[in-house]
Amino acid sequence: MTTPAVSETASAPASAGLPAAGVLDADALARLQELDPAGNAGLVARVLATYTNSLQRHLAELQAARRNADVQGQRHVVHTLKSSSASVGALKVSTLCGDIERKLRDGLTDSLEEQFEELAAEAARLLAALRQASTPNP
Amino acid sequence: MSTPSSFSDDDSTGRPRLLLVDDDEVNLMLTAVALREHGFDVVEVSGGASALAALDDTTPDLIALDALMPGMDGFQTCQAMRALPGYAHTPVLMLTGLDDDASITRAYRAGATDFFVKSTQWSLLIGRLRYMLRASRTRIELERSKFKLARAQDLARMGSFDWRRGERMGELWLSPEALHVFGKKPGDGVAMRELLRMVGAGQRRGLLRMLNEVVAHNAVFATDVSVTLADARQRVVHVEAEAEFEHGHGIGYTGVFQDVTDRRVAEDRIRHLANFDALTGLPNRRQLIWRTERALEHARRLGHRAALLLIDLDRFKNVNDTLGHAAGDELLMEVARRLRGCVRHSDQVMEGALEAAGTRTHRTLEAVGRLGGDEFVALLPEVTDDTDSERVANRILDAMREPIFVAGQECFVTASVGIAMFPRDGLNLADLMRNSDVAMYSAKTAGRNSSAVYSPQLAGRGREKIELESHLHKAIERNELVLHYQPKIDVRAAKMVGVEALMRWQRGGVLVPPGDFIPLAEETGLIVPLSEWAVREAARQAKIWQQQFGFADSIAVNLPSRLFERSDLVENIHQSVAAYGVPHKAILLEITENNLMKDLHNVSLSLHRLNEIGVEISIDDFGTGYSSLAYLTTLPISELKIDRSFVRDLGITPQSSAVVSAIIALARSLGLRVIAEGVENLRQMDVLHRLGCGVMQGFLFAKALPPDDLATWLHETVLPRKAPWIGAASDEPAPRVLGRA
Repeated sequence: MTTPAVSETASAPASAGLPAAGVLDADALARLQELDPAGNAGLVARVLATYTNSLQRHLAELQAARRNADVQGQRHVVHTLKSSSASVGALKVSTLCGDIERKLRDGLTDSLEEQFEELAAEAARLLAALRQASTPNP
Repeated sequence: MSTPSSFSDDDSTGRPRLLLVDDDEVNLMLTAVALREHGFDVVEVSGGASALAALDDTTPDLIALDALMPGMDGFQTCQAMRALPGYAHTPVLMLTGLDDDASITRAYRAGATDFFVKSTQWSLLIGRLRYMLRASRTRIELERSKFKLARAQDLARMGSFDWRRGERMGELWLSPEALHVFGKKPGDGVAMRELLRMVGAGQRRGLLRMLNEVVAHNAVFATDVSVTLADARQRVVHVEAEAEFEHGHGIGYTGVFQDVTDRRVAEDRIRHLANFDALTGLPNRRQLIWRTERALEHARRLGHRAALLLIDLDRFKNVNDTLGHAAGDELLMEVARRLRGCVRHSDQVMEGALEAAGTRTHRTLEAVGRLGGDEFVALLPEVTDDTDSERVANRILDAMREPIFVAGQECFVTASVGIAMFPRDGLNLADLMRNSDVAMYSAKTAGRNSSAVYSPQLAGRGREKIELESHLHKAIERNELVLHYQPKIDVRAAKMVGVEALMRWQRGGVLVPPGDFIPLAEETGLIVPLSEWAVREAARQAKIWQQQFGFADSIAVNLPSRLFERSDLVENIHQSVAAYGVPHKAILLEITENNLMKDLHNVSLSLHRLNEIGVEISIDDFGTGYSSLAYLTTLPISELKIDRSFVRDLGITPQSSAVVSAIIALARSLGLRVIAEGVENLRQMDVLHRLGCGVMQGFLFAKALPPDDLATWLHETVLPRKAPWIGAASDEPAPRVLGRA
């Protein structure tokens, strides 16, 4: 459950050689690659770059929303991150966002703070991995 | 990656255009890429407001809309789109989260076509979008075809209806087009009772009986009904319907109403045009044939007699030619009206009733019809004997006695009637027609304005002659007659001073010489219309030559004495020259001495009147007639024509020279011109010239020429002064009476 995606998917053959291999879900990455089979368009790299920016921006927004106790703002961020994270294979982040979104919608506050913390930590790990993965490939 | 989208292509065959709206850039990017990969043209926008703005520039085939977006969310966007013109039916797919039941309900409420739970399994999304596209296109097709149907129905004045069994008269539903048929607006309700009230009371009872019968058996229903609409318009509505069933029971009817009034009117008109003569409104040849055949069938079956009367107007051609075709038509209409009164004429034949044997309905076949031109037929479906037919014939002749006013003047028209009776004079239509024709010509020969019953003796008097006569009768109408022209030459001046018109009959490619038909024409009286035609034709030709080469002389036309007896001769000649705008002196009339002497008293009046209007008279064949020369001093005569028999013997017998010089002397002393005809050689010319006759006509100069050849002859022979006779005459030292032109 807490096993990082990094080690879990490290050996997935389909994703081998991809910059973010090991950080993200292999199946999701494979589906991404299917959209650009020859890699000519550099799609995967572009998507990951977009995702990285989007993640950073949304995390900042989330922090602001939490500071202002803006539940609607928080919901929107986790909703967005839920689906975009799933798209790129950041399953842990996606799942966490899904849980939080449901709790916010239903007005449940138990262990919500912990989950926000967990999301922040997970997102930070993911960002680090993504950054690392993208550095050798300008 | 796909090529950048183009939005100008035809939507049905090219890539479908999709507007993708998602605030998350990652999803937007991925979804767009996936869709392009699968053949969509995608426009990406990141929010509701920009989606609405994008619709200004592009018309997508379908729209995928993220449900939850900041600002204007998917639901609001969808609602706003639906309100835009043209987007009421564009398929919209709402993209929602997996566990978002509330969004699904809201999506439909906002007007979304369908929802889709976001997934990275692109094939699911593609499949859904393709399905929506197909459904949308089918719907568009359906809309179009519904529209076309409605339009076509409207054009055809047709509309559909449904009727359901129920209380009283059941329930009726009419499409807007069907309402239109009955003069109602879309949205107006129409009850069965109201429609039935539009049907006339007379027809309503029968219609109701039929409706009950049909409905009781769930039978197919098709009939035409005459209705009176609320605005009093009379229309004929065709109703066609068949029963609808549910669980084996007839529950009602579905069908169409069509306004067929115009078609009915057109059909009636076509039937009328096909069977009735447009000018007189009488049954035409086709209708007459149909009626006669029915009448003969009936007569055969019941063993009675029937008669066919062929009626031909006498000298109708004159009216047409002198007063014009409009007047001729007017006259025919009046004649038709009178003829109609001579029999028990029925315009309408009760066709169905005819079959009932033993009834008197064959009487409705009785009619006068027009075969064409001035030929009419009276059909008498039942006669006892010839007296019956002759009584009708006399009625017809009587009916013509009153003058007919056309073109502001009184016309007297007579008719000749030929009678043939079934079965005595023929067992079929063709025989009866032919024999009534024979009888009619015999009536004409006997002096017109009379009737004749066919008899085999009539047919026996030389079929050929009858045929010739019959054809000659039609020769003028068929333009078979032509005039040829023989020049009159002044040999001293070496110039043409006039021509004599000679009639020819162009009959089926053969030129019939006058000797073969003029006697027959004299015998039958046809000479009158022939001569009248000749005068008109000569006047017409004078005008043509006047324009071609300045012809200013006269054309001599031969007239029989019986024409001079006619009181309308002067008027006819006046009409003829006036019609073509030539002077009266363009026509010179030749009458033979014999003819003149035969009827001197009656002719002289005409001659004086002709002289007064400037028409000159020439005495033809002079020297051969009964020679009371006294008339020469009292009649207004301008010219004597020395008979060819004297000319022929000139230089051979001294007597002929003596006669010729006597004629010349006589003419000179009376101040008349003299002309010699039948000049065939230079010897004759020479003698005539020496005796003092300078104007001649004959083969030496030219035979009678077709009108077009005369100009050529003048140009090639007279003007270049090439002919042998030109030198011969001019070299003579004889005194020159006329100056050279």
